Amino acid sequence: MTDTPPLRAAIPPADQPVGEGWAGPAWVPTRALGRTVLLTGLLLVLGVALGRVDLVLLAAPFAVGAALGLRRMPRSAPEVMIDADDEHVVEGGQAHAGLTVLNPDLIPYDLVVVRIRSSPWLRLENADRPFAITVAEDGWAQIDLPGEALRWGRHEVGPAAARVAACQGLLACRPVVTAARGVRVYPVTDPFAAVEAMPAAAGLVGNHRSRRPGEGGELAGVRPFAPGDRLRRIDWRVSLRTRDLHVAATLSDRDAEVLLLLDVLGEAGVSGGVAGSASVLDTTVRASAAIAEHYLKRGDRVSLLEYGASGRRLRPATGRRQYLTVLEWLLDVRAHSADESPYEHAFGPHHVSPDALVVVLTPLVDPRSADMLARLTQSGRFVVAVDTLPAGLQPPRRSPWTPLATRLWRIERDNVLGRLREHGVPVVAWAGAGSLDQVLRDVARMASAPRGR
Amino acid sequence: MLDAVTARLDRARTVMRRATLVPLLIRIGIALFLVLAMSVAWPVELVAGRYGVPLLLLALYPAIAPRGRGATAVVLVVVAGWVADTTWNDARVALWRVLSIATLLYLAHTLVALAAQVPYDAVVNLDVVTGWLTQAGAVVLISAVLTVIALGLAGELAGGAFVIATLVGLAAAVAATLLLARLLRR
Repeated sequence: MTDTPPLRAAIPPADQPVGEGWAGPAWVPTRALGRTVLLTGLLLVLGVALGRVDLVLLAAPFAVGAALGLRRMPRSAPEVMIDADDEHVVEGGQAHAGLTVLNPDLIPYDLVVVRIRSSPWLRLENADRPFAITVAEDGWAQIDLPGEALRWGRHEVGPAAARVAACQGLLACRPVVTAARGVRVYPVTDPFAAVEAMPAAAGLVGNHRSRRPGEGGELAGVRPFAPGDRLRRIDWRVSLRTRDLHVAATLSDRDAEVLLLLDVLGEAGVSGGVAGSASVLDTTVRASAAIAEHYLKRGDRVSLLEYGASGRRLRPATGRRQYLTVLEWLLDVRAHSADESPYEHAFGPHHVSPDALVVVLTPLVDPRSADMLARLTQSGRFVVAVDTLPAGLQPPRRSPWTPLATRLWRIERDNVLGRLREHGVPVVAWAGAGSLDQVLRDVARMASAPRGR
Repeated sequence: MLDAVTARLDRARTVMRRATLVPLLIRIGIALFLVLAMSVAWPVELVAGRYGVPLLLLALYPAIAPRGRGATAVVLVVVAGWVADTTWNDARVALWRVLSIATLLYLAHTLVALAAQVPYDAVVNLDVVTGWLTQAGAVVLISAVLTVIALGLAGELAGGAFVIATLVGLAAAVAATLLLARLLRR
């Protein structure tokens, strides 16, 4: 019979609870304790050596203070928790964060110094300063940090660190750090409205009247009855007058897909938050949210796509749920540096539904953006370009030639815009409500023309 | 060199701009207690003379840098002044002077301990300071009672001061050893 090899238990034995052997927080003596011990010892030795009571008495407060302070020592670590808003915070709105310090010990914390970091886009009251508080034994203390969210995005409150001093400052705890909490700040949507004209539609139901006859609500005309027509469509008044059966023909209702293509190849301008200047990405995100809100409210399907290195995509859908998804998706919009791998191979017109209205939000700074617009138009997609470059943008002055170079660059960019317009790409600057009315009318008119390919 | 000076000036300006009231008051308290302790401990003619200014400036140092070893050094200078005054100048060991020096030194020491933990730009809850000073007050009170009793006994047993000092010193040394042993056991 062979001996069975000794096997190690897969789980720790039950009689050793987890955490029992944990050394706890590293409570370390402070310099004040060192000073107390040194002065007490020195004064006592001097007092004994010189036979002076007064020197011993000078040491008395230090000895009494140490004895009173150290009669009960802390054992466990403080706990720090960050509370942040889980509600929907919109930029420019109130954001609220809080810090809670827990004292699981049986002695009070004489001093807790708490520091917290937070995103520069969350202006929290006094968040740039440390807080000094006391926490009673087996209790907790809270610090409220009311503030304001300045810009859309995912922002962080934290990390926070707490350093505790107990026993009259004779012992201190090593800093306890807690991880950051995320706060989602949604973009404000500029009010946006567009005319009804939609160049093309894809589905069989929806809010837009199509150019094709079919079942729908919009009256297209009256025509003689033909086999296959439904009896409820018969227009009895006309039939009686003409003594021949006539039916009311309607245009079919269609829904449309709107694709918002976000150019994230680069960022330009300085973002000043909701009350300040808008950068390219600010305009892109806010305009996207506004356009998506408008079309989703009308029942259209909206999808989003990033034109950049990551190529994120949001599938087309409709309704309020999609609107919330769009807002969530927009929070992760980041600029990708231009020297990253080219995106041309990954993105092409074949990714875009042929009937979709493509709204491209682009600053037209990168030449690849203009090429992409031209290719989309050539492939017969209905494209509207929204210029998101901030007006009056000036690059930092690096040399005396900077203004001249900027002027040349602007002339070149105007040239590109002109050529795009020649190719049939309407380019319009974002100006909130009514920005796209004129160009949408033009695109709808172009779409009604016979398509060459 | 110039850059370093400029950086230091910028830092000082930032400190001035961001400093809050309570940490400032704590540091003013440290300076006040140490200056008073220095003036009480050292001979009056020395403090009033030309050595007074350096001594007082030295007493201000822990208020500026409470995290360093300056406080220990200044307390030792105060004790040295007291020993010098009573040994070489043959000044009388007056109760009020012993009480004042002990109280002022302890208050300065405990405020230095507080200032070392509280950053200069902190938002300080007043509970912190009041709780801290209350505990310090209790310590001072107990020590004052001990001082009065011990000095009274020394006065009663004229000539027996050496014996009392030895006994009290030995008791205190035992207590300090126990304290250190307890700390080391942790």
